[in-house]
Amino acid sequence: MTTKAPNLYFDNAATTWPKPESVCRAVEANLRQSFGNPGRSGLSRSLESDRVVYQTRQKVADFFHIEDPSRLVFAFNATDALNMAIKGLLNRGDHVIFTAMEHNSVLRPLGSLRRDGFITTTAVPCDKEGRPDLDYLEKAFTPRTKLVICSHASNVTGTILPVDTICLLAHQKGAFLLVDAAQSAGVLPIDLSLLEADLLAFTGHKGLLGPPGTGGLYVREGIDLKPWREGGTGSFSEEDLQPQVMPEKMEAGTLNTTGLAGLQAGIEFIQETGIDEIRRHELKMRRLLKSKLLALPGLTVYGPADDAQCVGVLSFTVEGVDCGELGRLLEDPYGIITRTGLHCAPLAHKAIGTFPQGTVRLSPGYFTREEDVERVALALEEILRVKV
Amino acid sequence: MAVNCYFTFPTVYFALRAEAVLKDSGCSFKMVPVPRAISSSCGTALRCPCEEIDAIKEVLENNKVQWDNVHLLQEEEPRPRSRGLLARKEARA
Ligand SMILES: Cc1ncc(COP(=O)(O)O)c(C=O)c1O
Repeated sequence: MTTKAPNLYFDNAATTWPKPESVCRAVEANLRQSFGNPGRSGLSRSLESDRVVYQTRQKVADFFHIEDPSRLVFAFNATDALNMAIKGLLNRGDHVIFTAMEHNSVLRPLGSLRRDGFITTTAVPCDKEGRPDLDYLEKAFTPRTKLVICSHASNVTGTILPVDTICLLAHQKGAFLLVDAAQSAGVLPIDLSLLEADLLAFTGHKGLLGPPGTGGLYVREGIDLKPWREGGTGSFSEEDLQPQVMPEKMEAGTLNTTGLAGLQAGIEFIQETGIDEIRRHELKMRRLLKSKLLALPGLTVYGPADDAQCVGVLSFTVEGVDCGELGRLLEDPYGIITRTGLHCAPLAHKAIGTFPQGTVRLSPGYFTREEDVERVALALEEILRVKV
Repeated sequence: MAVNCYFTFPTVYFALRAEAVLKDSGCSFKMVPVPRAISSSCGTALRCPCEEIDAIKEVLENNKVQWDNVHLLQEEEPRPRSRGLLARKEARA
């Protein structure tokens, strides 16, 4: 940011850091806000909290071009939203298709439903660049296929998946599409008036630059989910069943209002900066990183050759060197923060041929600068001089 | 005694949406806790003078805001709140 100190945090795919100052201020202001001002509306603290939720819902809906904000349900992260969608939509006997690039937050809910004999599933293989085999996908549909799940961008290779094409295919076959936008929201434009996804899950603490504990699920009009969390909604309190009105239906329990105030500020930062500018910068950092890494001996970089088909995520391995050890050496003594191993996406690593050892993942963000990338390259060069 | 009108809503979302879409409409209204005499699924209501009902309904309809009911209540004019304690504190400060 404005500081001259190096920003060697290269784990923005896990959670973005630093956050914009405006996000920190919004979180603090929300916690400190006084609700007892004389002369105010005389309404309770709870209505002021409700207003924050309302405004953030409107902000997120505008950001994703969702016409009716009541179709946007807040969740505590992408995992929560994906569970809401998967467990809320599927019925006994349904068949689900998903890609090999999916995260454990998709694989595990599906896995337990499958183990319990509730659903059947088909995984669509992906190539070494992380692209799903669309012919395979097309043939995988059965008359029972209810849902297709596809991440918008991979958290292992950065590959942008063809969600538009997959959406068309799913709809032709009468199935719904659930998009996992955990890695794309805030860095790739998402327009839900154009992309006809039926469900889209996102998290607030990655590209949207908000605090952890925020996220949400878009549910297209006409889709009825069973709430997997039930309880207080502040409405219909006399009834012993969850109210059926969206979005309250899916939002039982006290929401993370403070987090949502921060998320609102995060989205405002993106709108002011311009998502295209953020994308341009992250691509530039990825390109630079890749060109530096490719100049080093014994190093393999994964993902599409064409950077324009990626988000700012870059995985690599070094022949004969354990990636966990590489990650540790980068952190100490160099202070470079990466993420090593399987990144909660075992099938993606199988697809690119790095299972079970995994990769070292570097994910620059909007606040990464060229000199930070230079430092990573120099550190790696030094490490490899000793190791290889 | 004055007659006030109260709109009730199915959920907080719609109550707040009503507030948002009416803000620049020129209609006079106020968001208030639902009075005890009224039953509502959501605890926040919109209070307005009776002559505003039609204009408000139109704005709500145009913006797809669901409401449950419109109630008319005979109420005493709200009395000015005593600021005794506070006024004394301020005088001292
Ligand atoms: C592709 C993908 N899906 C889902 C998730 C889960 O996100 P969260 O941890 O915010 O629930 C992540 C990140 O960890 C991810 O990269």
